[in-house]
Amino acid sequence: MSAMQTNQLPDAIRPVLGNGVPCTIATCSSDGIPNATIISQVYWVDPTHVALSFQFFNKTIRNVRENPRASVTVNDLAGGAHWVLDLQFERSESEGPVFDVMDMNIEAIASATGMSGIFKLRAADIYRVLSVRRLDFSTSA
Amino acid sequence: MTDPAARSEDLAAQLARKATEFETLQRVSWEINATLDLEEIYDLTLETMATLFAFHHATILLLEDDQETLTVVASRGYENQAIGGRVKVGTGVIGMVAKRRRMLHLSNLGQTRAYVSAQRREMVKAGRAGELGDTVTVPGLPNAESQIALPLLVKDALIGVFSIESPVPRTFGPHDEALVTIVANQVASAIHNARLVRAETTRMRELADEKQRAAEALQRVNDSLEIRVRERTAELERELRVARELLDDARKRVEGPLLGQSAAVQGLHLAIRQYAQGDQPLLLVGATGSGREAAARSIHHESSRRGGAFIQVDCTLLHAHDRSKLLGSLDPEGREIGKMRLATGGVLYLDGVHGLPLELQDALGEEIERIEATREKGETPDPDVRFIASSHRDLAAEIRAERFDARLGRILLQRSIPVPPLVARREDIPALAEHFLRKHARRLGRNADSFSTAALERLQAYAWPGNIRELRTVVERAILMSSGPVVEIDAEHFAGSKSLGSYRLVRQIGAGGMGEVWLGQHQLLARPAAIKLIRQEVSSGKDRAALTQRFQREAQVTAKLRSPHTVELYDFGVGDDSTFYYVMELLVGMDLKSIVERFGPLPPERVVMLLAQACLSLAEAHEMSLVHRDIKPANLFVTHLGSEFDYLKVLDFGMVKVEPGEETLHLSVHGIVQGTPAFIAPEAVLAAPDIDGRADLYSLGCAAYWLLTGRPVFEVSTATSMLIHHVQKPPRPPSAIAEQSIPSALDALVLRCLEKEARNRPDNAVALLEELRRIPFERPWTNDSARHWWQLHAPEALHRLQS
Repeated sequence: MSAMQTNQLPDAIRPVLGNGVPCTIATCSSDGIPNATIISQVYWVDPTHVALSFQFFNKTIRNVRENPRASVTVNDLAGGAHWVLDLQFERSESEGPVFDVMDMNIEAIASATGMSGIFKLRAADIYRVLSVRRLDFSTSA
Repeated sequence: MTDPAARSEDLAAQLARKATEFETLQRVSWEINATLDLEEIYDLTLETMATLFAFHHATILLLEDDQETLTVVASRGYENQAIGGRVKVGTGVIGMVAKRRRMLHLSNLGQTRAYVSAQRREMVKAGRAGELGDTVTVPGLPNAESQIALPLLVKDALIGVFSIESPVPRTFGPHDEALVTIVANQVASAIHNARLVRAETTRMRELADEKQRAAEALQRVNDSLEIRVRERTAELERELRVARELLDDARKRVEGPLLGQSAAVQGLHLAIRQYAQGDQPLLLVGATGSGREAAARSIHHESSRRGGAFIQVDCTLLHAHDRSKLLGSLDPEGREIGKMRLATGGVLYLDGVHGLPLELQDALGEEIERIEATREKGETPDPDVRFIASSHRDLAAEIRAERFDARLGRILLQRSIPVPPLVARREDIPALAEHFLRKHARRLGRNADSFSTAALERLQAYAWPGNIRELRTVVERAILMSSGPVVEIDAEHFAGSKSLGSYRLVRQIGAGGMGEVWLGQHQLLARPAAIKLIRQEVSSGKDRAALTQRFQREAQVTAKLRSPHTVELYDFGVGDDSTFYYVMELLVGMDLKSIVERFGPLPPERVVMLLAQACLSLAEAHEMSLVHRDIKPANLFVTHLGSEFDYLKVLDFGMVKVEPGEETLHLSVHGIVQGTPAFIAPEAVLAAPDIDGRADLYSLGCAAYWLLTGRPVFEVSTATSMLIHHVQKPPRPPSAIAEQSIPSALDALVLRCLEKEARNRPDNAVALLEELRRIPFERPWTNDSARHWWQLHAPEALHRLQS
């Protein structure tokens, strides 16, 4: 078992967060109905925070607004491991450096695909990291 | 647990890579900053990328001046990436980097694109396709997965975007971002410097170009100035020629009539010397032809005013409304200038002052009084003119009869010089006659050098009602009639003794190789006319009768010519001495030969206007099968009809040939080809049987050549050589020898008239006329131009009779 748990994001996770491999986010509504969906990226904010883009995920957003807890699984294909992040929704930012970087990435693609203004970042949702666990593929299987 | 050896190797590899990177960055930094060549900078940058990232694609885009477009200036690794590809600021990764001026590092573009595409499809499914825009192709690797794009900034100003891409996801890490950032900063700075230098170089080149253009413009101005100076010089030379001519003319007029040793003429000389000094008005009283003008010119010549002009006015030609013509100043346009003003610093000679209208006599008297009053105060009057009047009448008697203004008469009669009639100085007649003999014999090319004793006796015995002028005419006529060195004078030489048909010969006004031209007057109608006498040397009865018949037939045809541009034939006949004569309308003005000789070549627009008139005359004649055969400048007479100036009349239809050839009439000396060598058509030289009007067009071409250039078509020393040239030699274009510029259309048309083969010339005078009218001129020659020219250049010729 190579699982290790911390509430600080280790440096080793930074390349994984930016690797572009889709991640999975799991949320739960106030009445206990879970929801899981794919998200394209989890952004590094600082060692105790990440940001998720608030775009189309209506159900996820609604759940998080009702119940601030979320769980994200990030896939490190090169390292042969999953990283599971337990998160607590803190705030939604529609401006500032974190929003700018996320918005730029999205807008860069959207502008070239006729989706400018549609495929648009509405806000950057900032989550506090409650715990991080690394699970090797071999052990998590 | 990590193997220490492997770890050591790994560290060594990392160290080696770092060392390579450091070396590469150091080299690129040095090399990029060592060049100012943009292409070299791009190459070095892309080369560096190749060294740092083995598996890479890179592109450099620069921001256009519109600040909205980025253009690919260099690329490596994209097989299909065209240099010059464009992307709008704000579109795609590169456009977004330019818009935000921040680096963008993407690791899994394919994934993102797939995600966005899915979203797009969802929207289409949801019926929201209308909200979607077009997908835009942006520069770069189409299947890029990883990309670092960063702005090229110089002092916070965006100049472009630098981008590296890879088809492999997650190719670049944070360390690569740092490396690319270092290189991009170097590149931005190098590009900026190189562009500054390039802009400066361009500016320098533009400045140099501008300087070159300015130099060329200056050269053009200089050239134009040079042309203008040349034209002005030619103009001045012409004016100088005119001045010399006038001076020469004046000298000739002075020297003749005042010759002699008689008491009368010596007294005149004394009076001239006495009155020459001073500015007071003078009156010369003497009979017509006695030499009043010569005396006036002599006074001018002896006085301190000799450097000033001698302006002559024929008072009998002035009308009451001509005050400004006599006394006026410049008009607002600077054209009209009174004769008095023209004489500033010199002498105003009022010939025949008794003929001055009374209104002008009054105005003139007032002006003279004003000028004299100013002089009495010791001041210089304006204008500073001396007045010399002349008359053959007794002005005192005229005043008494109230035919002359009392004030002007009083002023003039204060200083009166009598000019003796010729009969009062008979002893001077031989000297005067010999003077005229030498002068006219030389002019007429005769070898006459003396008079017979009988001739001198006759001259001295004659009453000379026409005075010296008559003596001159009689001598001239006698020279023409004589055939040896000793000139005889017969009774018939004296004026008034000869008449032809209904016309009385008044006085001779010209002479040439063919005969004389006389001023004649119809004995009953008193109509003045020009009478041309043509001597012919056929004496035997039969030949003479045949010739006379032909002459009459030809004259009858000529008389049918009705063109206003053909001199009108009033009458013709054969005198008792077998002299043929034509009686023609009397014209005032000058022929084109004299005009060009005196004033130089004519401007093309004037030549065209004159030639067109000649064509009108010839067209009618040719229609009636008459060929002129002697078209030349001397036979093209420029006159004025009322207020119409530069009115051309074709003279001398007397030498025409009635077609067909057998009817040819040689009125000139036998054995000489008809026509004038310088102006003769090749077919006339060859005496071709089928000569038609196109021979006249050739001659008209020769005349045009001469009018435009002042030179004949062929400059050769003998008449024979001239004839050969007409037949064989192609002429040079007038433009090649003219001092003025000649429109190419006119140049070509003159050359066509000069074609050796008649069929290559314009078909007829009407066709030539039409072509002449089609030649465009910026400033065509108008009646005003002509009037101005005559008043300025040859006002005296407006009253000169044809000769």
